[in-house]
Parts: sequence; structure tokens; C-alpha cells
Amino acid sequence: MPTGDELIETIRAVAQAGDRGAFAVLFKHFAPRVKAYLVRSGAAAEVAEELAQETMVTVWRKAASFDPDRAQLSTWIFTIARNLRIDALRRRQDGPRHDDAGAERDDDPLADAVHDAPALEEQLAGVRREAAIRRALLQLPAEQLQALWLSFYDEQSHALIASELQLPIGTVKSRIRLAVNHLRRLLQGSEP
Amino acid sequence: MIAHHPSDELLLRAAAGTLDAGSAIVVGAHLEGCVHCRAAVATFESAGGAMLEAIEPVLMAPQALAQTLAAIDAPPRERAAAPPLPRPALPAGVTWPRSLAACTVSPWHWMGPGMRWSRVTLPHAGAANVFLLRIGAGKALANHTHDGLELTHVMCGSFHDGRARFGAGDFDAADGSVRHQPVLEAGGECICLASVQGRLKFDGTIARWIGALVGI
Repeated sequence: MPTGDELIETIRAVAQAGDRGAFAVLFKHFAPRVKAYLVRSGAAAEVAEELAQETMVTVWRKAASFDPDRAQLSTWIFTIARNLRIDALRRRQDGPRHDDAGAERDDDPLADAVHDAPALEEQLAGVRREAAIRRALLQLPAEQLQALWLSFYDEQSHALIASELQLPIGTVKSRIRLAVNHLRRLLQGSEP
Repeated sequence: MIAHHPSDELLLRAAAGTLDAGSAIVVGAHLEGCVHCRAAVATFESAGGAMLEAIEPVLMAPQALAQTLAAIDAPPRERAAAPPLPRPALPAGVTWPRSLAACTVSPWHWMGPGMRWSRVTLPHAGAANVFLLRIGAGKALANHTHDGLELTHVMCGSFHDGRARFGAGDFDAADGSVRHQPVLEAGGECICLASVQGRLKFDGTIARWIGALVGI
């Protein structure tokens, strides 16, 4: 498995030289993970496959905008996959009749708010935060970590997985809350 | 100074992308003005990145890389820049949250003396109940409760609803157990962006009638 630094080198090679060999390395590492995330979120296998490919196309197109000082590559790719997932869900709920393919508006409210031109202090905090969070997650009890991952899939899956684990949904939710509190304490400690 | 923020649960769901469309608009509007909540969402997104690293991979289709490279070579879909959507007027100095960029916002409608409202229509979630309330200084909105969760972002002005004071940038989540009557403070009108699951239920015949009439 490539290291974080190696992956950052590969995304740089994609951004600067359109290096397809480097892209293949990124694809091999991330596409099956993105697909797994989408499947866990309730997407049918063929939809997950399609969206995972679309995620990687977006990674290629936006490679130059990835800033290793702001976020880890996996965090950046997670947000791309998440946004495509939301978009696909909304379009499907809506049906094809309102699909205004001709006009493109940014209809991801969060992407704008969180990712547009951060203040300098936010940018500096990004590097420290990523490292601190990865360390903090390692300290979480396995059951809390598992519950936190569940919160990234949709509500229905929560209930589904709670029943798979033979746990009441309340227990799963309280584990998520404990994990979030742990991250929150970390955040408060790192704020200027 | 922002005093009221979304709960960690809402911020985590914003980061995970599991909020319904209406809630995402209102939480997004708060995030635009709140550096603290942006940091919390970024933290939860980092957890999402860690989740992606930890997940058990699922095999891609045999031709997946070739198909993806072919998609990269295909000319990007021509996307006409969308013309700006019409917007009703706002008081001087107040700007539209960017989270509303893709939404249609109706003209201001009268709903009582000193009270106007506007319907916000989301591009891919026609069923979401999102609206703006614009209330003159010193006025009071009718006492009301909700079927489900009501999320509110204060765009300008301030009000007190018996629980706390809410000013520009503040965020409020009130569930069905909260029955409140926002009373505007002096010193300028107040505009709130709100999303409601279910309908508002106003006390009093006239207020109920108006609520039913405007469909919020």
C-alpha cells in the first residue's frame, strides 16, 4: 500500500504532468475504497461502480486544486465522493424531469462554505488538524471508531448495521456521540 | 458575535453528507459565517478521510480504469454558465447566503402587518419546506410549534423567543417539543432562513389561517 507521501507525489504528477501511470496508482488505491463507501451507504453495486469512476474522473480534473497543506488526499477524495453521492441521490429522488443538464449551478451548499478560499489561520490549522485527528482516531476504542464510521453511511444503514451487530440503535448513537466528543475536545484544544 | 451554533450531530451529518436537502441549505448558510463550525466540519471530514482509508475495499469492474481514462479523454460536457436567478430585494448590507445559489427564491409575500415571507425552492428536492421570513422591528410572529425539526439561520436583525436571543449569524434547531413565539427586537427588521420538516402549527384561528394559506 502506498504511503501518504507517495500518494501526494502521485497526485502532484497527475496535476502537473497529466501522468497516467501516477493516476493508475491513485485509482488502484482509492477507487475500490470509494466504491466500498458508496456500497456501505446503500448504493447498488453498479451505481457505486459508476460513481467511483466519476469520483476518479473528478480527481483527475481537479488535481491541481488539491492542496496538501489543507487536507489529506483521502479527506479531499472523500468530500468529492460524498458530493457526487448527494448529487446522485437528489437527482434520482427528483426524477429526470427537472434534470437541467444544460445549466450548471453549484448546488452543493456545503462545498462552497467549507472549501472556498480559507482564511490563513484556517489553512494553517488544516495541517495540524489532519495529523491530530488521525492520531486521535487511533486512540478511540474500536467500538466507538466502528460507530463513527457508521455515521458516514445513511440513517437507514445505521439501523441496518445496528441490527447486524445486534445492538440497540441507541447504543450505536451513544458510541458515535462519544467519538464525536473526543474529536470535539481535540478541536477545542487546537483552536487559537 | 455568533452565540448559537448547530449541534455536533448536525455538523457531523453535514460533513458526512447525510443531511436532508433543506437542512443542508440552512446549516450551510450558518457555516459561511462561522469559522468555528467550519473547523468542526473540516474535522469530521478528516474522519471521513480516515474512514475511506480504513474501509475494506470493494473490487472495481475489470475495465474500470480503462473506462475512467476514456471518460477523462472525452471532452468535458459543455456547461452553459447559468444566468443568475432572480432574487427579491434585501435590506442594504444584507447578502444572500451562497448555500441558496442554486435555489429559486420567490418575491416577498404579505402574511400580516410588518410580516412577509418568501418560498425557497431547491433544485432537486421539491418536497423540502424551506422559506424566508422577513419581520419588521418590534413585531411578533404568532406562537407556533412544529411537526418536526425546524432549523433557522438568522440573516439579519434579532429576536427573542422566550428561550434565548438570536442575532445575525445565529442558528437554531427547535423540535416538536418547542412551542415558541419569536418577538423582534427594536433596531431593524429581521430576516430568517428556515427549513421545517412537516408544517408550522400556529396557535389562534387567524394565525392558523395565514399559515395554511401560505403553506408553511
